[in-house]
Amino acid sequence: MQYALLLLFLVLAAVIALVFIIVYLSSKKSDDELKGMANPLQKRFWFLLILFVCLGIFALITIPRSPYYLFAKEQPAKVVHVAAGQFFFTMSYKAINPDKPEGEMTIELPANQLVEFRVTSLDVNHGFAIYSPSKQIVAQTQAMPGYVNLLRWKFEEPGTYTVHCLEYCGMAHQVMQTTFTVK
Amino acid sequence: MEAKGIKKNTAIWIIAVLVLFVLSIILGIIMRLNQGGAVHLDPGTFYADMTIHGITMIGIWFVAGMAGVNFIMERYVKTSYRANTFALVMTVIGVVMLWVSTLIGDFHAGWTFLYPLPFKIAWSAWATPMFLWALAVLGVGWLVWVLSLMTALLKKYSISQVFAWQHFRNKNPEVETPPFILISMISLLGVLACLIAAVVLLVLLFAEYYSHGAFVNDALLIKNLTYFFGHTIANEMLYLGLAIIYELFPEISGRPKWKTTWYVAIAWNLTLFFVLLAFFHHLYMDFVQPEGLQIVGQLASYLASLPSAGVTVFSVIVAVYRTKIKWSLSNLLFFIGIAGWVIGGVGAVIDATISNNFLLHNTLWVPAHFHSYNAMGNVLFSLGFFHWFSVEYSKRKGPERLSSLKLSFLLLGGIGFLAAFYVAGAESVPRRYSSYPVEFTSAKLLATLGAVFATVYLIAIFLFVSSIFKRCINMVLHRS
Ligand code: HEM
Ligand SMILES: [Cu+2]
Repeated sequence: MQYALLLLFLVLAAVIALVFIIVYLSSKKSDDELKGMANPLQKRFWFLLILFVCLGIFALITIPRSPYYLFAKEQPAKVVHVAAGQFFFTMSYKAINPDKPEGEMTIELPANQLVEFRVTSLDVNHGFAIYSPSKQIVAQTQAMPGYVNLLRWKFEEPGTYTVHCLEYCGMAHQVMQTTFTVK
Repeated sequence: MEAKGIKKNTAIWIIAVLVLFVLSIILGIIMRLNQGGAVHLDPGTFYADMTIHGITMIGIWFVAGMAGVNFIMERYVKTSYRANTFALVMTVIGVVMLWVSTLIGDFHAGWTFLYPLPFKIAWSAWATPMFLWALAVLGVGWLVWVLSLMTALLKKYSISQVFAWQHFRNKNPEVETPPFILISMISLLGVLACLIAAVVLLVLLFAEYYSHGAFVNDALLIKNLTYFFGHTIANEMLYLGLAIIYELFPEISGRPKWKTTWYVAIAWNLTLFFVLLAFFHHLYMDFVQPEGLQIVGQLASYLASLPSAGVTVFSVIVAVYRTKIKWSLSNLLFFIGIAGWVIGGVGAVIDATISNNFLLHNTLWVPAHFHSYNAMGNVLFSLGFFHWFSVEYSKRKGPERLSSLKLSFLLLGGIGFLAAFYVAGAESVPRRYSSYPVEFTSAKLLATLGAVFATVYLIAIFLFVSSIFKRCINMVLHRS
């Protein structure tokens, strides 16, 4: 998916660059002083309309796919509690006591079944981003002190997943990670 | 007398911005080198570098836009020399405090200083209050400046005129509002809103800090406030640059002045509104935020970019297409800057889509797109203005040399630097990592490439800046 977005971006960027280049060259070639508009700020309603319709369609397609609505009507097969702290993740199948955070040594989750992560933080804001065995983000949410974010996901590919912190949290932010397996 | 004062101040603003810009680029290159493994900074030092790079860049391009708008505004209304000077003094004090708190005090909570990180002190204890007070100093200086410019406009134009409402219905109203005035006012009002948010934010943070934990803030509320301030100021500073372009692009190109039409008036009035709601996209991954606000965030992000960008791009394109115009370094910079801004905008719209943000949030995609419309957009708007200003008002006029060389370096360096960010973003490489865990196989190489291209960009900036710099120094030293 990420590469598809990169491709979309590159195509659009190339089109825009091309338009600017063509327009620039057309001006360089022009030798007629009188051509050109007296006021370029004239109405170009259709141009905005096209943009508006394109973005409208894009919104209609993408909004229903927002993470808040994912698997909202299903019951999770497994619940995992996550407490993030500087600079660790504690994960447990049971609720975590914030004063004495204790987690499981290893977390194993079923493939193709709904898992719910209940993510919070014990100190500052952290991120909870799940990376697939091939190191692409598949899902993420924030870990915010005082709040619990519910992230639901179905893992299709079995293997070892890595969690990285994606909200800057201080000196050791870059090494804050954990793993779990999907079977 | 006052107009001369403003001119001199503008030259001082330009000098200060250019010096800080070059220093901050060097800090940026050091970060990329560290991420690539060529340099080994202590992580705390890296993050202090990141913090001061971010806040300095935001600050200087904001004041660059303000200084330019203030200078041009003198054509229409009388502005206050004292407010301009006050802002200049406060900015210098604030910036010195920021640099001391980060580079000496080692404060490294990031330029967004997201609560409660600034209070989890992992640096000199005095650095946190110093950083926050520095922001307060900047905030006061800028509030005074913004208010004085708004007052100056409102002395000449009524409320409905300054927002060009008379253009909604009437094709040829008696009083015309120049696009420059309209866009300046819209931007100033947006800046005012976000500075007020910053004041509230600082008051809440100080309340917690000085009550020693008796008063505790709500993390979600503070995050909303932080991004209302941070996102909005980063956007409005671009609009300040655009106001200048609407005024100077036709003038430098030797074309008739652009005039406000009803659709330009409506587009910018809509922008004022939507841009203030777009910041919600920074909280997409906070699932506890009310869902309605998330959707508002996506729609407002689209709608904030649509009218202003649509109108501006289209206007510039039709102004140039098959039209013989006088090309100079300034309008070329404006032209390229607009392309960079729009391309960065495409990257932003992709990321402002919630279902994509799920995969891109806080990856290097984010610095990729905002560096696009800053380093290859807004910076070029301001450099275009600086160049025009320094040539127009200095006694040292000479033929512009090396233009195409400078521009090729700028394009090559800028595009390469940005490409390294975009590709890494698509590879899920996190932003704000001092070094990359080994699993991110391509991240180091991309960082090193980014550093190399950024150096090319720096060389181009050096070439541009040195002549502008000399002319401005001359203007300040010699009474003219
Ligand atoms: C070629 C010049 C520049 C270079 C080499 C550079 C480099 C960097 C690097 C390496 C980062 C950290 C990326 C990460 O998260 O890992 C960064 C962050 C940032 N840069 Fe730049 N940058 C440049 C120009 C600019 C400009 C013109 C702006 C103008 C607004 C800017 C604003 C920022 C901001 C706001 C951040 C975020 C800081 C934070 O996360 O707290 N940069 N830059
Ligand atoms: Cu972190």
